[in-house]
Amino acid sequence: MLIEIEKKSQTYQFEANAGEKLLYAGLRAGIPLPFECATGTCGSCKARVTQGEVDEGWSEAPGKERFKVVKREILMCQCSAQSDCSLSVPTKIVAFRDDDINPDHHIGVITQYEKLTEDVLRFNVEIPTNISFHAGQFFVLQAPEVNGFRAYSMVNYSPGTNQLEFIIKQNPHGGLSKWIFDSDRTQEKLELFGPLGHATFHPDESHDLFMIAGGSGIAGLMSILEYGRQVNYFKNRKASLFFGVRTPADFFFAERLRAVKAQFPDTVSINIAFSNAPPTAEQLSGNDGLIYLQGMVHEHALPAVLEGGGNVMHYLAGPGPMVDALIRPLILKSKIPVHRVRYDKFS
Amino acid sequence: MSWKAACPVSDVKQDTLKECTIDGIEILLANVGDGFRAYPPVCPHMEQYLEGSGICANNVMTCDRHLWQWDMKTGEPLGPAEKPLLIYQTKEVNGQLMVFLDEELEYDFDDDDD
Repeated sequence: MLIEIEKKSQTYQFEANAGEKLLYAGLRAGIPLPFECATGTCGSCKARVTQGEVDEGWSEAPGKERFKVVKREILMCQCSAQSDCSLSVPTKIVAFRDDDINPDHHIGVITQYEKLTEDVLRFNVEIPTNISFHAGQFFVLQAPEVNGFRAYSMVNYSPGTNQLEFIIKQNPHGGLSKWIFDSDRTQEKLELFGPLGHATFHPDESHDLFMIAGGSGIAGLMSILEYGRQVNYFKNRKASLFFGVRTPADFFFAERLRAVKAQFPDTVSINIAFSNAPPTAEQLSGNDGLIYLQGMVHEHALPAVLEGGGNVMHYLAGPGPMVDALIRPLILKSKIPVHRVRYDKFS
Repeated sequence: MSWKAACPVSDVKQDTLKECTIDGIEILLANVGDGFRAYPPVCPHMEQYLEGSGICANNVMTCDRHLWQWDMKTGEPLGPAEKPLLIYQTKEVNGQLMVFLDEELEYDFDDDDD
């Protein structure tokens, strides 16, 4: 089916397959449609159907709050075409970076499956072709028996790889999360679409990095740290990471974080904040190079932010309320220019 | 159309945003200290409703979605914002905030020629 988006300056056209989400079809064709979560919660990929018939998909998608039925407003990430369609998109259509990678559909196989803590799993998905992605990007994943894509940031970084490493937190009410925790899913197949997302790291930008993660939000920041480590970025540039989890038992990736700190002891600072318990005596001894704190991660991170931002890029990754709680003081109190903040929030 | 009462001025506190609907038109009200402003309810970037996403301080509004910012008095864009806020005329009469509604102000999302 042919989809058309008319703008004054040009008309965009792309093909969408039956059942394919319009957002994914457009992005796959290289059209930089607006989106953020790509999974129905944020509302950024709003469009109006001016001609043609669509299947709206997830009718209770949170991103549709205040959408106007009379204007035929839809979420492109949830909607598929049932005929040729014309859409109007109420925002600019503009590429984020020239080197953005066109996302595409893949079928992957789970090749590794490991519990990191009581309620966090790490798993690898192998896809049939080598692809590239920016550090900090995500894929949307859909399990065979579960309807609906969910977004997960890659933990690894490798230019040209068929391995995508993810972490996932247990959510008994979640779709994919419940499915993957139910039993060892090694060798099971997943549908994937990506890479997606703009909270990315690019060494040519030459910033110091200030990173705050809550829980599994650490995934994309691990990818950024890994890329920086591979290209020796932290030889000349500083990086501060604040990673919040509930208790010492919930802390994962300790070895990987220690390795980064050990490789760049003078430029990298890694702070672990436990919201619900004090650090252990061994952690407080400071022998492993990491700094352990008690309290909410944002309470420790915010005072460490430099007013005005300097030449620093700030990365925020975690649950929506955590990220929202950080953005306000960063802008209002720390006076960080908004172009020095990149965030990845999930619901 | 004409001047329409929106709400008592005391309902619109400084550094906050209040949305109301007059004759079916959604309007966003703000107190800029020495007066009031009325805007269309959404961000001119991606139509985010600013009552929820707008952060106000020192007469600067920031949409927390993609961090567009404006001078709340003039509507002029600051920082990365590419479009101004549209503004309805307002006045205060007997403690009521009045908005001049000639026609609904709407953002043109199609001016992407640059």
